[in-house]
Amino acid sequence: MNELLFVLQLLIFPGFLFLVIYAIFAEWLDRKLYARMQNRVGPPYWQPLADLIKLFSKEVIVPRSAGYYLYTLLPYFAFASVVTAFFFIPVWSPQALYSYQGDLVIVAYLLTIPTLVLSLSGWNSATAYSILGGIRCLTQLFAYEVPFFLALLTPALLLGTWNISEISQNLPSFLFAHPFYFIPVILAFIVGIIALQGKLERKPFDIPDAETELVAGPFTEYSGRLLAIFRLSLDMEMVVGASLLSAVFLGGAQSFLGIPGFIAYLIKTLIVIFILAYIKAAVARIRIDQMISFGWKILAPLSLLGMLLVVLFQKGGIL
Amino acid sequence: MSKIVEWSRRASPWIIHFNAGGCNGCDIEVLAALTPRFDVERFGILLKGTPRHADILVCTGPVNEQIKSRLKRIYDQIPHPKFVVAVGACAISGGVFRGCYNTLGGMDDVIPVTAYVPGCPPRPDAIIQGVYALLEKLKKGG
Repeated sequence: MNELLFVLQLLIFPGFLFLVIYAIFAEWLDRKLYARMQNRVGPPYWQPLADLIKLFSKEVIVPRSAGYYLYTLLPYFAFASVVTAFFFIPVWSPQALYSYQGDLVIVAYLLTIPTLVLSLSGWNSATAYSILGGIRCLTQLFAYEVPFFLALLTPALLLGTWNISEISQNLPSFLFAHPFYFIPVILAFIVGIIALQGKLERKPFDIPDAETELVAGPFTEYSGRLLAIFRLSLDMEMVVGASLLSAVFLGGAQSFLGIPGFIAYLIKTLIVIFILAYIKAAVARIRIDQMISFGWKILAPLSLLGMLLVVLFQKGGIL
Repeated sequence: MSKIVEWSRRASPWIIHFNAGGCNGCDIEVLAALTPRFDVERFGILLKGTPRHADILVCTGPVNEQIKSRLKRIYDQIPHPKFVVAVGACAISGGVFRGCYNTLGGMDDVIPVTAYVPGCPPRPDAIIQGVYALLEKLKKGG
């Protein structure tokens, strides 16, 4: 009976099906907010679902120059890694479906796989646009990945645990007991949001799929079902990234069990998605070299500063 | 099931815009139709850069001999099911270029066209209405 419940949890509620539905909703919300910020009406609420069904029903074309098996398998790798990452994040109770020491690192690496898959699929498509998009994907990875990891590790260092569930349970009470630590955590949160924007390849960091220069970047040759899976896994990556940030920095479904915890989770992730949409509407695309220098000259030092503050406060005995 | 698929096709038409040798007048109007003022995302219309992602080819201009093979190739690159909207007088009949030694008499000499938008150039509203008429035609099973 317990095993059956566990499988149901994996497949339906805090697991796969919920993630897909929430990802579709998040894409709609993102597009709608973006449209409202541009003074437009925006798409109706069924829009992402219609896009997905249409793409699933369309013809799949595999270019002759691309390797067939790699080309058709790659989207599923991105999909699987994002879904797996979601199991480690607490959704409706303080405890995630799976949790053990070090799952923060696992999730961070699982969220890197979609980027690698994107660049590989760009290379494998063997078109000038997609190859350039793939190169830019990898180049951009070096700019945001280090600040993102450092930002995630700041609360981990603070609490002395690398377990997402434990961090999300203990961080708020710890912060309110020791308000000095708000400074490094807020710093890390800002860095994390900006780096997540780069990870999701949204404006101002949509350099890999810059539609005015590179057509559609790594996806240029993808069509039909494969494109739908790529789109869905990017939407899910947005949800998982927002959930990760809300779990690590905002307390996730903290201290509540069941429906109140779930509502807390929804509100916190929607706040993160709102901030992401706001950044997307407010800025224009930057060049790849600007991105790299921004990542290494501003983001990485800021996240290092956050870690340094944590160490100094702990050594200095401000507790 | 097939009803849901048909609905999704009507609800999410992604377009690609191609100029088959026109004077650029219609293209400026097509771009104007995609601005926030007209907000075609209300109907689910998105502009895509690559033919692999598109459903509807919005095409302007009389087809001249040089671009004929390229237009054919772009049409072939769009995955099924696909539709064509011919925008402007030139795309319908050749317009002012009709009878020139290097142009054809309209787009349907090369690729099958589903909807025509007259005008020289047509207003952005007319282009949106043309795409919408195409969707209505799909609804009736045309």
